[in-house]
Amino acid sequence: MSETPIAKPHVLVIGAGHAGGALVGQLRQFGFAGRITLVGDEPHTPYHRPPLSKAWLKGETTTEKLALKPGSFYEEQHIGLRLGERVQAIEPDAHRVRFDDGTTLDYDWLVLATGARARQLPIPGVGHSNVLSLRNLADAERLRNALKVDRKVVIIGGGYIGLECAATARALGAEVTVVEHAPRLLARVASASIATFLQSEHEAQGVQFRLNTGIDAIEGEHAATAVRLSDGTRLPCDLVILGVGAEPAAELALAAGLACDDGVTVDADCRSSHPDIFAIGDMAKRPIPIYGRPIRLESVPGAGEQARRVAAVLCGREPSAPEVPWFWSDQYDLKLQIVGLIDTDATSVVRGDPASRSFAVFHVKDTRVVCVEAINSPPAFMAGKKLAASGKPVTPSELADSSADLKTIAA
Amino acid sequence: MRKWQCTTCGDIYDEAIGDPDSGIAPGTRFEDIPDDWMCPTCGSTKDSFEPYTE
Repeated sequence: MSETPIAKPHVLVIGAGHAGGALVGQLRQFGFAGRITLVGDEPHTPYHRPPLSKAWLKGETTTEKLALKPGSFYEEQHIGLRLGERVQAIEPDAHRVRFDDGTTLDYDWLVLATGARARQLPIPGVGHSNVLSLRNLADAERLRNALKVDRKVVIIGGGYIGLECAATARALGAEVTVVEHAPRLLARVASASIATFLQSEHEAQGVQFRLNTGIDAIEGEHAATAVRLSDGTRLPCDLVILGVGAEPAAELALAAGLACDDGVTVDADCRSSHPDIFAIGDMAKRPIPIYGRPIRLESVPGAGEQARRVAAVLCGREPSAPEVPWFWSDQYDLKLQIVGLIDTDATSVVRGDPASRSFAVFHVKDTRVVCVEAINSPPAFMAGKKLAASGKPVTPSELADSSADLKTIAA
Repeated sequence: MRKWQCTTCGDIYDEAIGDPDSGIAPGTRFEDIPDDWMCPTCGSTKDSFEPYTE
């Protein structure tokens, strides 16, 4: 974009994470000629967060390489950046926000993209400086400084963040114990077959697990020195990582009177209860057609899809068809790709042999693929994405038959 | 030889290296990759990639 944009309309985006960063780029790509301002409370331009628990933490990639776009992009595209700044309040009827320093900024459309923050546990000792969560680069820097060879690390929570950190901590030579209160890992987000497979992979790498176990307290006077479990065991530690989920950072929206329910309630276009205010990313609770109910996704692909949707709406373009939610994770040399949400009413079939470390679990409900979890198996993920979107009728037995061609089944 | 970046996960497709695990030989130009190829890390579609300069 070479011409200076006109002042109106002005799109103001609060939150410079993946959703906000994707939105401002997409608006220009769709030819939006008005003014764009992106506000973020971190000092960085938008960056890729998933590597923070993996490649970045291991030192395999640099902070510069995490950037969503090169620094020059924002100037070239006439996108105003207000980094390291925080909006204190929204005045929806005046179409204005107020910053911490008392200054105000008017907008025509406001997009909230302030994400989610790490959940804390209501137990003694969580405030110690060596009890860390991981959401952003500052968290990751603290974690990287603390993760060293032979350090004893207790990870509270056997979800994706916990397991990714466990894999990285092992790669860096730390001793790792993961404590999970549910009877198995990834209880909310993956099937039992995948959880069992990943647990045995982690155990082979030396990670210890305490499942079905709560936390009574984090001990230590000035720093965490041990974690006391609900069964009375005391695990000595040099570092505690909390990976117990995230909650939407929706305070601004709530205070502005927008409808909220575990996130900002939005429609299919990501529009909130105020017609000129949208919400995207981890903080948005949006209806997903194939599930027939509103869901708050904590997912980079979800953030990207919502950003494209809002950009299309604001530019008067026909939006793309809604995507079936999808996710990915990598631990050691295992790439996990998931499409769809786990449905406990579905029938699950395994395609391929888990011992080969390349297989997939298909979940079928009433002849429709509702979810696929693929380990080191891009073709299964690709077929699953197609099938989940098309709803083409399938039988569990044809999916389980490794000799049947997946491309043909999904075509 | 050029590089391309996945806008979803940040993964780099380096034409010099290709993506042998998915049957894409070293030296394969991005344009010559089949349309149903996906990002080997996150599973994004080919159209999620954009040119990357270091």
